[in-house]
Amino acid sequence: MKKEKGNWKFFIIGAIVFVIFIFPLYWMVVTALKTQVEIFQIPTPLWPKDLTFDAFADQLSASSDTLRGFKNSVIIASGATVISTILAIPAAYGLARFKFSGRKVLILYFLMTQMLPSTLILTSLYIMFSKMGLLNSYLAPILADATLGIPFSIIILRTYFLSIPKELDEAAKIDGCNSITSFTKVMLPIAKPGIVVAAVFSFVYAWGDLIYGITFITDPNMRPITSSIYNYVQQYQTLWNATMAFGIIAILPVVLIFIFMQKYIVSGLTNGAVKA
Amino acid sequence: MKKRNHISIRAGFLFALPAAIYMLIFVGYPMIQNFILSFKNVDVYTFSDTAKQSFVGLANYTELFSGEEAILSTAIANTLIFTVISIFFQFFIGFGLALLFSKKFKGSSFFRGVTMISWLLPVTVAGLLFKFMFASKGGIINQLFMSLHLIDAPLEWLLDPKLAMAAIVVANIWIGIPFNMMLLITGLTTIPEEIYESSKLDGANKFQTLFQITIPMIRPAIMSVLTLGFVYTFKVFDLVWVMTKGGPVNSTELVSTYAYKLSFEQFQFSKGAAAANILFLILFVVGIFYIKLINDEEEVM
Repeated sequence: MKKEKGNWKFFIIGAIVFVIFIFPLYWMVVTALKTQVEIFQIPTPLWPKDLTFDAFADQLSASSDTLRGFKNSVIIASGATVISTILAIPAAYGLARFKFSGRKVLILYFLMTQMLPSTLILTSLYIMFSKMGLLNSYLAPILADATLGIPFSIIILRTYFLSIPKELDEAAKIDGCNSITSFTKVMLPIAKPGIVVAAVFSFVYAWGDLIYGITFITDPNMRPITSSIYNYVQQYQTLWNATMAFGIIAILPVVLIFIFMQKYIVSGLTNGAVKA
Repeated sequence: MKKRNHISIRAGFLFALPAAIYMLIFVGYPMIQNFILSFKNVDVYTFSDTAKQSFVGLANYTELFSGEEAILSTAIANTLIFTVISIFFQFFIGFGLALLFSKKFKGSSFFRGVTMISWLLPVTVAGLLFKFMFASKGGIINQLFMSLHLIDAPLEWLLDPKLAMAAIVVANIWIGIPFNMMLLITGLTTIPEEIYESSKLDGANKFQTLFQITIPMIRPAIMSVLTLGFVYTFKVFDLVWVMTKGGPVNSTELVSTYAYKLSFEQFQFSKGAAAANILFLILFVVGIFYIKLINDEEEVM
């Protein structure tokens, strides 16, 4: 009986925390559905009294930057995810399953690269890409964004491979597999959930990138969506309903991923950061 | 047996090689280039003409610290303030929420899960959202404060040098809380239930349990959260770039935004490289500390 009461107390505190925490997102949606007049009313209503989808309609019209930015981001983030995942899987496997000299150094090396500020390599990458003629192409942000996903994916996947019993490898070896076939035929299928988490993180990182996008791509037709919305705000300073509608479209993939993969994301985050 | 070991050694190395090479090309090499660049005089005039580029020693660094328009010291101070205040609140709020949400009650995993989302959102969008909420006209924060009679007239949050820092810190705290919370919850779940039960039997009250059992037992998680939090916060760029661009009058200029401005607004590439190196140096020291920390832990395990 006493326990029940305690639960209610926690439930109420939890609900209050939830409301405060989620308010900015609520506000984004509400603002996108308001008219400009309502947004600047004093006091501004807490929900749209004059509900309108005009802001979304404008953002989704053919001439807007939004859909173009969305498409560019899909291409860039997918490209970065493919590179990052393909490279991270074998690396994580090698670092989890084999003891070799330099293994620890390699793990530290990947750990360190995860902590580097983008500004540190940005100028050199810019010069490098400009010499290679890659500026204003999708490849420049793809190559740069993959460096965000690789270390994190390796760390998550290594923990995953470590958790798979070693006997499985040995059984595969007895059945006549060598290192490579036991990796492709036995380990990869088992590691699928881990691989999905790593890929999702690489995608989310690349999708959220701003600094590489605004630096390597100046052509408005090629910009990723973060860069588009940034430039949109520079242009239409106080058009908040339109900006928020733009923002909602920009976060849509991440929100969907979050809704469907929440459990995996939480485990990935904690594995990547604590256990390393 | 020996031969098999030899093969497996090579296999492990070969598996890791492609990723290592990729990171060398796109991170290691640019880092070295950045280091060299910081001792040169590359700017918009000498950028495409390598003949005019030359080494200038430490000139870029000394200019950054003591030149007439140099604001690097301000930027470092701002970055430290931004980082320390952000981490302070993120940690304590995150810890409180971790204690709350590690309890099992109706809705606990739902509430906990949803708060995660602020951490996953593209920072650019989160920054714009907070820019709007802090706007002097139409901003909800002014409206809230006015309805609570804390202020009489709307504040110019992002245009007042004193308030702008507060605004970006608040936004950053919102983004960072879930990260702190999740890592601390993971730490809390490693504490066996029996320890709490026996401490209860010994007559320990809630505070004694918290300070003498919970906190010492999750010390590794706490240290991880604090050092990683420091590293991630110290290099924040997008949020500030979107909300204030370092302004007004450099009051929110961080080392990362300053380095970016030097390189890509003033096209003083060498100076930008030097500023980025200073940022790296500070992070490197903290990073070493973190790596030592997890190494010690691994040995214990």
